[in-house]
Amino acid sequence: MNKKDLLLILVILFVCIIMFLLFSNKSSDYAYVYYENKVIKKIDLNIDNEYTVSGYNGDVVIEVLNNKIRVKEEKSNNNICSNMGFVSSSLEPIICLPNKIVIKIVEDYKIDTVIR
Amino acid sequence: MDTRKIVRLSMLLSLSIVLSLIEGMIPIFSNVIPGVKLGLANIVIVFVLYLYSFKEAIYVSIARVLLVGLLRTGLFSIVFFFSLSGALLSIIFMYLFKKMNFSIIGVSVIGSICHSIGQVLMAILFLNNINVIYYLPYLLLLSIPTGIIVGISSKEVLKHYNKVKA
Amino acid sequence: MKKIIVLFILLLITGCSNKDYNQFNMFFMDTYINIKIYDLKFEDKDKVYNEIYDIYSVYDALCDRYTDYIGVNNVYYLNNVLEDGQSVVIDDRLAEVIAYGLDAYYLTSGKVNIAMGNVLDLWKKYRDSGEGIPSEEEFKNLKSISIFDIILNDNVYTKYNNVKLDLGSYAKGYVTELVADKLEEMGYYSYLINSGGNVKVGNHYSDDKYKIGIENPNEDYLVYKIVSANNTSVVTSGGYKRYYIYDDVKYHHIIDPVTLYPSNFSLGVSVITENSAYADILSTYLFLLPIEEGIYFVNSNDLVEALWYGIDDKVYLSEGYDKYE
Repeated sequence: MNKKDLLLILVILFVCIIMFLLFSNKSSDYAYVYYENKVIKKIDLNIDNEYTVSGYNGDVVIEVLNNKIRVKEEKSNNNICSNMGFVSSSLEPIICLPNKIVIKIVEDYKIDTVIR
Repeated sequence: MDTRKIVRLSMLLSLSIVLSLIEGMIPIFSNVIPGVKLGLANIVIVFVLYLYSFKEAIYVSIARVLLVGLLRTGLFSIVFFFSLSGALLSIIFMYLFKKMNFSIIGVSVIGSICHSIGQVLMAILFLNNINVIYYLPYLLLLSIPTGIIVGISSKEVLKHYNKVKA
Repeated sequence: MKKIIVLFILLLITGCSNKDYNQFNMFFMDTYINIKIYDLKFEDKDKVYNEIYDIYSVYDALCDRYTDYIGVNNVYYLNNVLEDGQSVVIDDRLAEVIAYGLDAYYLTSGKVNIAMGNVLDLWKKYRDSGEGIPSEEEFKNLKSISIFDIILNDNVYTKYNNVKLDLGSYAKGYVTELVADKLEEMGYYSYLINSGGNVKVGNHYSDDKYKIGIENPNEDYLVYKIVSANNTSVVTSGGYKRYYIYDDVKYHHIIDPVTLYPSNFSLGVSVITENSAYADILSTYLFLLPIEEGIYFVNSNDLVEALWYGIDDKVYLSEGYDKYE
């Protein structure tokens, strides 16, 4: 280990801190469900419910419970994103690569509520 | 390429494949952050880079990805391309950093970093969705210790190899 | 020692899962209602929940047009069971709601008209089927939509000419105001109530103002304006949630009493004023007025501000709106 290595590690740490600061984490009312880059569903996290969307490989079942959201069922080999469990912050998007589905809790920039 | 070298590289290649496969069976972290790996196979790649040179390391890298693809993840599947991009980015930067006189630890760390960045980049392109980038800080942070472990391991293996050789 | 640790962990777990005890979700008046009470004391949570639940359920029953509650003279009863010319005693609370609606008629130059039940039913029929629009014939044969066919003396209700009550234009706002009053009566001043398009907020939970997002009528997931306010109501009226499309034309559910067709002056209007019932009435009113007239009305009213999302995709603000920026 030499000085350059230490510098490298410090730079990486610095970059990570910047990223964490930029990725604001506010609690929010909504999650967006994307298929590729299009929002295909907007989900209200205040309402406990189940939703089914069409992923690349088949249906993906999404569940909202107690202001948290998760993928309940999916058709994929490793079931990575259903194993992720419940997510409640905008810092943790649920990424389902094989089904091309992304669930992202939206930071509503300090919005307390939305009139729909 | 002389025969001894080919044999040695083939054995190293097999070793890296086996390490890849074994690693794939350990479900560490894959529940929390998909794509996190220990990067054990990189110990071999780093070893080859220091024992031989960039050329050999890139051959072994690509061969490893191809063969692991055949054996496990499916040739030309999504995961295959992710691995390939991670591996290529990784070996290129490792070579650069080696030239820039970083120690073997630094080189391994940047190798680890590149794997993560490569994967995230490919995921973003594949999904056409920027949100994968939220995982980058976590992956980067984890790459530091895993990179250091790979570096230390490769260093020890090299030391041992040189002792035995001599 | 082990037992203590287990107990401690159990307490921790139950403690953690009770983090959301100060948020209530209910479904009344055909709407999801979400109430956050920021200074709610844990031991009060059940009592407060029950009080709020009671208010909503009573008014939901009384104002319900489509359900018959045996023994309750609610709107369904008044519209479908009570006969012309007959009088009946109604619950004080319902009488107050109706009286408020009758006043609203004069306040809004007849635009907010609780006697519109018959024409609303006509449109609902087509909206539910998704096909066609009412014919000239059907309009001609419409039963009464005249406010004067509704007579209310204290709490004695009489109707004529088969007129039908519809309290939908302000009932939610009215009840929300009651719920807010109740919360303050119980000593809770820091709350946020969101019932469909009706939001009421009390004091802020820290040292700031509530940020209330207003949805873009054209794009489901976008907020086009954020109202920054405390101790006020924000109510939106618009045609972008309940409508149907026939022959390439969109028909929504807010009917202009003059043309008898869904109004077409704007895509949505949001009213900001302290009282929720008033806000609800005004938002319906403004939605049935050309934007210019609406702006004029609001500018001459000190207690109210409003914003419109125009058909031209432009946003219109009342004069005093910038205090809510």
